[in-house]
Amino acid sequence: MRLSISHDTTYHYDDQVRTSIQYLRLTPHDSERQHVLNWQLNLPRPVRAQLDPFGNILHVLTMDEPHDDLIISASGEVDIDEHCEAEHDDQSAYPYLRFTRLTQPDEALREFAHQQCNSHRDRDALIRLMNALSERIVYTPGSTKVDSSAAEAFAGKSGVCQDHTHAFLACARSLGIPARYVSGYIYTEDAGHLASHAWAEAWLSDAWYSFDVTNGLSRPERHLKLAVGLDYLDACPVRGMRRGGGVEQMHAKVLVSPTLSQSQSQGQSQGQTQQ
Amino acid sequence: MSRNFFDEMHDANGDCRAHYREFARWLAETPEEQLAQRRREADLLFHRAGITFTLYGDEQGTERLIPFDIIPRSIPASEWRIVEKGCIQRVQALNMFLADLYHEQRIIKAGIIPAEQVLANEGYQLAMRGLNLHRDIYAHIAGVDLVRDGDGSYYVLEDNLRTPSGVSYMLEDRKMMMRLFPELFSAQRIAPIGHYPNMLLDTLKCASPMDNPSVVVLTPGRFNSAYFEHAFLAREMGVELVEGADLFVRDEKVFMRTTAGARPVDVIYRRLDDAFLDPLAFNPDSMLGVPGLLSAYRSGNVVLANAIGTGVADDKSVYPFVTDMIRFYLSEEPILKNVPTWQCRKPAELSHVLANLPELVVKETQGSGGYGMLVGPAASSAEIEDFRQRIIARPEAYIAQPTLSLSTCPTFVEKGIAPRHIDLRPFVLTGRETQLVPGGLTRVALREGSLVVNSSQGGGTKDTWVVED
Repeated sequence: MRLSISHDTTYHYDDQVRTSIQYLRLTPHDSERQHVLNWQLNLPRPVRAQLDPFGNILHVLTMDEPHDDLIISASGEVDIDEHCEAEHDDQSAYPYLRFTRLTQPDEALREFAHQQCNSHRDRDALIRLMNALSERIVYTPGSTKVDSSAAEAFAGKSGVCQDHTHAFLACARSLGIPARYVSGYIYTEDAGHLASHAWAEAWLSDAWYSFDVTNGLSRPERHLKLAVGLDYLDACPVRGMRRGGGVEQMHAKVLVSPTLSQSQSQGQSQGQTQQ
Repeated sequence: MSRNFFDEMHDANGDCRAHYREFARWLAETPEEQLAQRRREADLLFHRAGITFTLYGDEQGTERLIPFDIIPRSIPASEWRIVEKGCIQRVQALNMFLADLYHEQRIIKAGIIPAEQVLANEGYQLAMRGLNLHRDIYAHIAGVDLVRDGDGSYYVLEDNLRTPSGVSYMLEDRKMMMRLFPELFSAQRIAPIGHYPNMLLDTLKCASPMDNPSVVVLTPGRFNSAYFEHAFLAREMGVELVEGADLFVRDEKVFMRTTAGARPVDVIYRRLDDAFLDPLAFNPDSMLGVPGLLSAYRSGNVVLANAIGTGVADDKSVYPFVTDMIRFYLSEEPILKNVPTWQCRKPAELSHVLANLPELVVKETQGSGGYGMLVGPAASSAEIEDFRQRIIARPEAYIAQPTLSLSTCPTFVEKGIAPRHIDLRPFVLTGRETQLVPGGLTRVALREGSLVVNSSQGGGTKDTWVVED
């Protein structure tokens, strides 16, 4: 499947921002399951790409001239291999056993993970866990905040893809399975559904397998990966700080559409950058 | 408990050891009233200089004077040379371990240390993986905590490779002794330590590939318990003391805001934990760090001393492997001994620990500063039970060691002079070479029988002498 992405984020500030700095993970890289045909990142000023600690392509945008808006746009085309179910890696997965504030399991999450998987540590067990979490944490936009932890979302029984993913990571790691956060895009025909997305990957014996709790998908057929990390904070597309600026208004528009050779169907969706 | 303590000043027969004879003679000759007056003078001077320590766990955040004792801890030079060699050997191996861990991981492939033990450790930083550092130095400044057991042999209690503190007390204690009792320093050869700030500045400059890099000291601010030391070292080195807000990153380079505009910064002696360095890469709530710092560091545009990710090597669960690291990287036998350590994450060792709690010292693997630690022989049965439950709940978070008897040194207490337990923290600097000034910081547990010397737990300090013998 060939996906065409257009992702514009516009920040408008009530007051002038004196300086700002953003860590941008808005550029996908080639892997076993995705091939980047072309990609453009349009920023207010040219920025060199570097790799971040997790191997993601990172742009650090520093603005030291006063500004009252900021427009970041990313667009390109990527081929997804729908049949590729797992990705290999020659780096150790052990660092992804570590808990973070957002993925620290409480007793309830540990017990839940244990109930779903017992002594099993295979893909089927994690699929059971994925489905059970999806049922337990009802997809409810606005029910959690960007800094809500896995345990909070689990206790509140509602959340968005970020919470689903954190809860999955907390459970998997509590079972001794390395797992990581993935941020990226998903193509859905349901236009009401958001295109910026998050899901999890778990390391099972020799490769990373995907678990999309929100959509109950264990095969990442429609998923375009941007970045990975221990949790949302490591992998999110935009993380920034500014001096001045007052109240911020952020508009994000994401279009993900399949560009089939016949090009009949056009799916699109839009909304906030983070679900 | 055995009363078999090694006394630094007196041998088993109660005779004064040779390297203390000059001091003992002076002490006997000096009238008590004069000593008492000098001790009051010392308190006053320390107070005026603002040499204080903020106590954690105290709601008021009280600043407290670290008690200073005028009876020095003295080490014969011949003995010191062995300790010095041992510290250098240890820190060299630890730096090689860190370079290996963040690159080829030969020590894991050789089966000497389990991969999960270090790679899943909180102190292991993915940000360092594959990153090349100038001269391969990670711990530019290390503090090696030493104690002496009943027979006087030195043991390494722990390595401090993150932001070891206390060197300002070492320097101030010496200044105070020279001011109060100059006659002691003319009567015998006591190795000088006053060149430490120069040595530190040289070490920091060596950490950068540039010819004359600009160096700053980064402090979390005046509410940090060691703020006095940060200010002290910056002043002694003649470099700027900055807080996170004084620095900024532009295009992966670090600058300092000054009244004359932005000034580039090449080396940061940071006294801030990894998690607080860059709110865009680590703890997002940190107001102490510099947004963008990690990107500048990873681009090779700024040096951090110490490097990020050194905590994996001074973690207490990694400590048992240090002697093997020395053999592996240096093909040498360790000069300094490790304290035998039981790792509670191993079921067999856990049951031994649980069965022997009243005799053991139990520590948290990620703890420091003497908080969250059990000294079995000194604990009540309620405290032991409380710790037992904590260990059972999270065995991987604890290690246990036999209770060492810790050497004693005569110390002024309310009722005169009495033996109190001490330790020693030499500060090891690694630049072109690995070196240290003679001695280090001697901490003393002022409560009778106490084995906890941390200043946060009511410890004091002594001047530390290396005396030519």
